[in-house]
Amino acid sequence: MDALANLALGFGVALTLQNIAYCFIGVFLGTVVGVLPGIGPVTTVAMLLPISFTLSPVSAMIMLAGIYYGAQYGGSTTAILVNIPGEASSVVTTIDGHQMARQGRAGPALGIAAIGSFFAGCAATLLICVAAPPLAAIALEFGPAEYFSLMVCGLIAAVVLARGSVVKAIGMVVLGLLLGLAGTDVNSGIRRFTFGYTGLADGIEFVALSMAIYGIGEIVYNLEQKAAQADVMSRIGRVWPAWEDIRICIPSILRGTVLGSLLGVLPGGGALLAAFGAYTLEKKVAKPPRNFGNGDIRGVAAPESANNAGAQTSFIPMLTLGIPSNPTMAMMIGALMIHGISPGPRVMTERPELFWGLVASMWVGNLMLVILNLPLVGMWVKLLRIPYRMLFPAIIGFCCVGAFTVNSNMFDVLVMAFFAVFGYLCLKLECEPAPLILGFVLGPLMEENMRRALLISRGDPRVFVEEPISLAFLIAAVGLLLVVAAPAIRMKREEVLKE
Amino acid sequence: MTIRAPKDFWSGLMFLAFAAVALLSARGYSLGSAGKMGPGYFPLLLGLVLALIGAILVARSFVIQGERVGRLSVLPLMVVVLGVCLFAFSIETLGLVVALVAVTVVSALASWKDFRLREAALLAAALAAFAVGVFVYGLRLPLPVWPAL
Repeated sequence: MDALANLALGFGVALTLQNIAYCFIGVFLGTVVGVLPGIGPVTTVAMLLPISFTLSPVSAMIMLAGIYYGAQYGGSTTAILVNIPGEASSVVTTIDGHQMARQGRAGPALGIAAIGSFFAGCAATLLICVAAPPLAAIALEFGPAEYFSLMVCGLIAAVVLARGSVVKAIGMVVLGLLLGLAGTDVNSGIRRFTFGYTGLADGIEFVALSMAIYGIGEIVYNLEQKAAQADVMSRIGRVWPAWEDIRICIPSILRGTVLGSLLGVLPGGGALLAAFGAYTLEKKVAKPPRNFGNGDIRGVAAPESANNAGAQTSFIPMLTLGIPSNPTMAMMIGALMIHGISPGPRVMTERPELFWGLVASMWVGNLMLVILNLPLVGMWVKLLRIPYRMLFPAIIGFCCVGAFTVNSNMFDVLVMAFFAVFGYLCLKLECEPAPLILGFVLGPLMEENMRRALLISRGDPRVFVEEPISLAFLIAAVGLLLVVAAPAIRMKREEVLKE
Repeated sequence: MTIRAPKDFWSGLMFLAFAAVALLSARGYSLGSAGKMGPGYFPLLLGLVLALIGAILVARSFVIQGERVGRLSVLPLMVVVLGVCLFAFSIETLGLVVALVAVTVVSALASWKDFRLREAALLAAALAAFAVGVFVYGLRLPLPVWPAL
């Protein structure tokens, strides 16, 4: 069978000594940043992007991907033991997870989180194997009009699923698109929005922009929050849950995995939404509904399975369509472009070793994560004793080195300083930065596809609604917007996203 | 007229400002036509949409109730930005070690209440040693290490 041959190829790539090493570095770093509150996978991937071009593209992708799904494992440790989410996607895990820790059941909570994550990670990776090739085959048939509408639909979905005001989120998307246009226009050779700075001739450096917002802007924002009382539960006890605990969690893990996998594929989805969705669902359907909020182990199993499943499946749109569903995936696209590979449906056929190697490495990585997280959990707890006052200057330092090394240009560091101020203001004004980052990556692509579509139709904008697939995407986009505008659903959305 | 939703109001103004910059600088780029989009076509379109969104936010902020913008911590922000700028201006001439020590110590001052000079200096030294070891010797990134004399 084709799939088996492909997987064999993938494992052949993933199981070379070098790639196992990079996979380990990725999941190890991912666990570290997952455990540490205040630094997330986006910043970490951005800091490592400049390094990644010293590696082969496959090794680079394997390492960077490991950071993202590794962070989902690490995030739960902090959530359970300290009642602070190490990652945004483990916010809901704090609810029941920390209660369990208070009741002296920290061990089983950590255990079920790791087991659920491992199962979900493996299942979701399988889904990537099955779903990605046909999806890429369909996408190969897309013309510019379809691509343009797909991007519109993706961006709107990202907006709808973002937290906070939809109008502001649309504003952030449009601003991101505009920022993405800065630099030399490929068609006319004219420099746009460079304001006379030669440093901007190649556009705003993506690494600098994302580190400014997710690294530096967020640090300043964190500094003004009151230092949370670190209530570290250091007594962990036996990590392996009792059979009774596992049995009761099996349906929750399955539900979490399915829901998480589906929500992960959506633009704007990924790990965060998956965890929220799974916890809400679990509270509704789990029987008996006993004591959610008071240390129900299913309240840990479901969201932790879901966020890991979501983290894995969010690779599907990136790998098959070249469209990022969240800022980390935008980073991965950036990494591919550094290597001169334009992400899209062609990657799978032209660089099969890249695609299948990455997929196979996810299994390897998930296995490593279980080993890293269960027996070694004590080590991660020690990490939590590092005070933030020592952590944040180090993050800023690494961001500076990262921004400089991309092009060996000090101008990029200044760009980062500028957008750090902007990023901080956005956080204060509750303008979500994720849509901006997605818009930034898609800006030039959207312009190019619009230009081509209109060139073919000789300027007739009806081309976007006359092609059936394109029309379907646009209808979906409008539908999503209408759904959010409807008051009843808006309430529901706020309820789900806030919780 | 009172502003009821300050966060929306200021977000709207921010979008309007960006839109104004975009529209003003896009004037110089040729527009082309729909069938042959020039470099100014898409920016103009986006600028107009952004202006519209900004205007909606500002107008809406007089009607709906919303949260106040919290206190801006201007000083910590400026300290961190200063640290980053110091790095930018020193990396090419003074090298990685000096630049990294500068940005680490200065930005540590952003939370001056628990700033400890010894600790910050040690952290900076450790960071510089790590960066030189990993980036310069390990990964062979082209970074100047010491001041170019």
